[in-house]
Amino acid sequence: MTTYAQREATEGVQAPKVAPTSKGRHFVRFITSTDHKTIGYLYLMTTFAWFLIGGVLALILRAELTRPGMQFISNEQYNQVFTMHGTIMLLMFATPLFVGFANVIMPLQIGAADVAFPRLNMLSYWIYLFGGIMAFAGFLAPGGAASFGWTAYAPLSNSQYSPGIGGDLWIVGLAIGGIGTILGGVNFITTIFTMRAPGMTMFRMSIFSWNVLLTSILVLLAFPPLAAALLALESDRLFGSHIFDPANGGAMLWQHLFWFFGHPEVYILALPFFGIATEILPVFSRKPIFGYKGLIAATIAIAALSVSVWAHHMFASGQVLLPFFSFMTFLIGIPTGVKFFNWIGTMWRGHVTFETPMLWVMGFLITFLFGGITGIILASPPLDFAVSASYFVVAHFHYVLFGTVVFAMFAGFYFWWPKMTGRMLNERLGKIHFWTLFFGFHTTFLIQHWLGIKGFPRRYADYLATDGFTTMNMISTVGSILLALSMIPFAINVWITRKSPLVNCDDPWGYGSSLEWATSCPPPRHNFLTMPRIRSERPAFDLHHPHIKTEGH
Amino acid sequence: MKFNTTRRGLFILGPAMFALTGCAVDADSGFSGDASSVNEISHSLWTYSWLAAAVVGVFTAILIVWPAIFHRAPKNGPEFPKQTQYNIPVEIAYTLIPFIIVAGLFYFTVVKQDQITKPQENVKHEIVVNGFQWSWQFTYLDAGKDVTFTGTPAKPPVLVVPQGERVRYTIESNDVVHGFWIPEFMIQIQNLPGVTNHLEFTANKLGDFPGRCNILCGRNHAQMLFTVRVVTPAEYQTYISNLKLETEKASQA
Repeated sequence: MTTYAQREATEGVQAPKVAPTSKGRHFVRFITSTDHKTIGYLYLMTTFAWFLIGGVLALILRAELTRPGMQFISNEQYNQVFTMHGTIMLLMFATPLFVGFANVIMPLQIGAADVAFPRLNMLSYWIYLFGGIMAFAGFLAPGGAASFGWTAYAPLSNSQYSPGIGGDLWIVGLAIGGIGTILGGVNFITTIFTMRAPGMTMFRMSIFSWNVLLTSILVLLAFPPLAAALLALESDRLFGSHIFDPANGGAMLWQHLFWFFGHPEVYILALPFFGIATEILPVFSRKPIFGYKGLIAATIAIAALSVSVWAHHMFASGQVLLPFFSFMTFLIGIPTGVKFFNWIGTMWRGHVTFETPMLWVMGFLITFLFGGITGIILASPPLDFAVSASYFVVAHFHYVLFGTVVFAMFAGFYFWWPKMTGRMLNERLGKIHFWTLFFGFHTTFLIQHWLGIKGFPRRYADYLATDGFTTMNMISTVGSILLALSMIPFAINVWITRKSPLVNCDDPWGYGSSLEWATSCPPPRHNFLTMPRIRSERPAFDLHHPHIKTEGH
Repeated sequence: MKFNTTRRGLFILGPAMFALTGCAVDADSGFSGDASSVNEISHSLWTYSWLAAAVVGVFTAILIVWPAIFHRAPKNGPEFPKQTQYNIPVEIAYTLIPFIIVAGLFYFTVVKQDQITKPQENVKHEIVVNGFQWSWQFTYLDAGKDVTFTGTPAKPPVLVVPQGERVRYTIESNDVVHGFWIPEFMIQIQNLPGVTNHLEFTANKLGDFPGRCNILCGRNHAQMLFTVRVVTPAEYQTYISNLKLETEKASQA
């Protein structure tokens, strides 16, 4: 038990405000800040910009697939567009989006003044930004951007089959951007291990911060092999080495190295967003998280298993030990199922209210549930042989990744908007935004399961009128337009609430649990003017509702 | 208020049920049960896996939606529910039951995949499937090493196979990775450069079945199509002997 003597100087005093005098100065101050929150905002804004760019590329793909025949772009351009769509969405949007949320929220949740290495944090951002721009700049290169898919299978990605500087920019850009992510992971792990406030033991830490820790560990396991593989590939292209030469088994070597990164990457994308959902559910159920310690155990199990399932992406290669990878993949479904029951248990007999963040979490639960179920189907090699590398798989991973990342991202935006800006977003527009996106998403991707079962392979620029894919593709395209339109209510929402009244309280939602709800909205420069006593995993709730007793075992 | 809550609940429940049950029902009819020897093995696994998935999925979806409808409360209500944090029996149950489900799925998976991948004695014919940018070359070893049929992106080739006789396919590539996929036969395998893969199955039904390359292989990936034509064994013999004659004529000329 720890008590604090409050510093006299801070008693009832607002944080000193350093008001920039002009827009230019404000901008310079913003981009040169080492404050974790400001860097987090830079990450969130940059990733959202990439999300929109990746989305426009997706619309080009959908437009081209609406009818048989090539209407808008060539085969080669189509390959470039889906390569960059995948690359942007996974490595320039979703992964750094985790870094953005972790930067803004995690130090607040553990009661730290900043991250452990603020300047390294800033360096990570700039490395990420330039790495991303470099890969994307391939569109300006002669011959265009990389077109070998975001999986860059060797030997298609070598200089013989994919000449052109676009491929080199992609490889080196991702290697550089990956270094930014690795540095971010180092920073978060150090911060969590060394900078927690007194009383904030590991088993009082919020689930989001736990997930940031485990995600960062996965980053350290997955991104260095990717960087090594990319640099080896570039060495093949540039210096004529033979690391991925098929004569030396290079085709399989690349698949193994890539998926040894690629599968943990899926959980790097998922875990932080599971964390966001886990933060929101208790607040709008007025209950603690159900099975807190079991939930942490499940997350650790997922993180551990996620590095042992990579070859389930390679069942159809004929070169992997099917029973092992199939069994490990089935196993990973168990802790994921446990999480679902933790989420359900949190709502169960709670005081459930549907503010916008909660609505988004419900969207996440339903969408991710279906993605998980098709995942179990694909974990069985005989069934994988039937539908692997088809639109069934495209639909599956959009349910998993879009369901997790995008639904939880918007949940997080609506939830923490008052914490970040001091102002609430509009609830009505938030709900319009949700329902448009929800129906748009499911119209786009549900039908793609059938497309895959009927035999439409992924990454096809075209199909024949006699294939019977036309109607389903049209439905999918219509859905994607609805999905794109759902960004309009969000943009209006951000715009019209930019000057809405300040919330002027620590916790506008009223029932926040974790420590970020025990400081002002937005928090002062070093986050806390006073630190509440941390005696459970719900310090802010204990502070605001001291009379409510948590039932133990 | 109660009616309002229920109506809102249905609004959420509707799409969820549509998503879950809709797919399960159609998945059953997605594949033929006997088009090839692979279908005979995999189709029941496909159907029962979807059935299990639908049961688990609908059960979980109901559990998600249930509190969203029936445990809703007014936003400004002052009361707090019981602050339950742990329930050990429930936690043990929801950890152990999935183990049993997974063990069952894994057992059938292993049995079925062994049936698909294990080489058998009764192989009657051998065909080499060579993928290249961007078409296919089929070599009928029964007739000779040089008896081949080669397609182009503009004129996709036909793979002629005998009905009811087991064929062993040797899967190769000389350039990049390709994917040899016959959707209606529920089977695919990668053509890997530098690696030789093998695949065996029997086609049971006469007719044409589309085949497609499903691993990205460059610009004309989408034109890397072929047709599997299942014919009677007699027609198959005629086809390969004709192909052999043509090959000999071409080599003499």
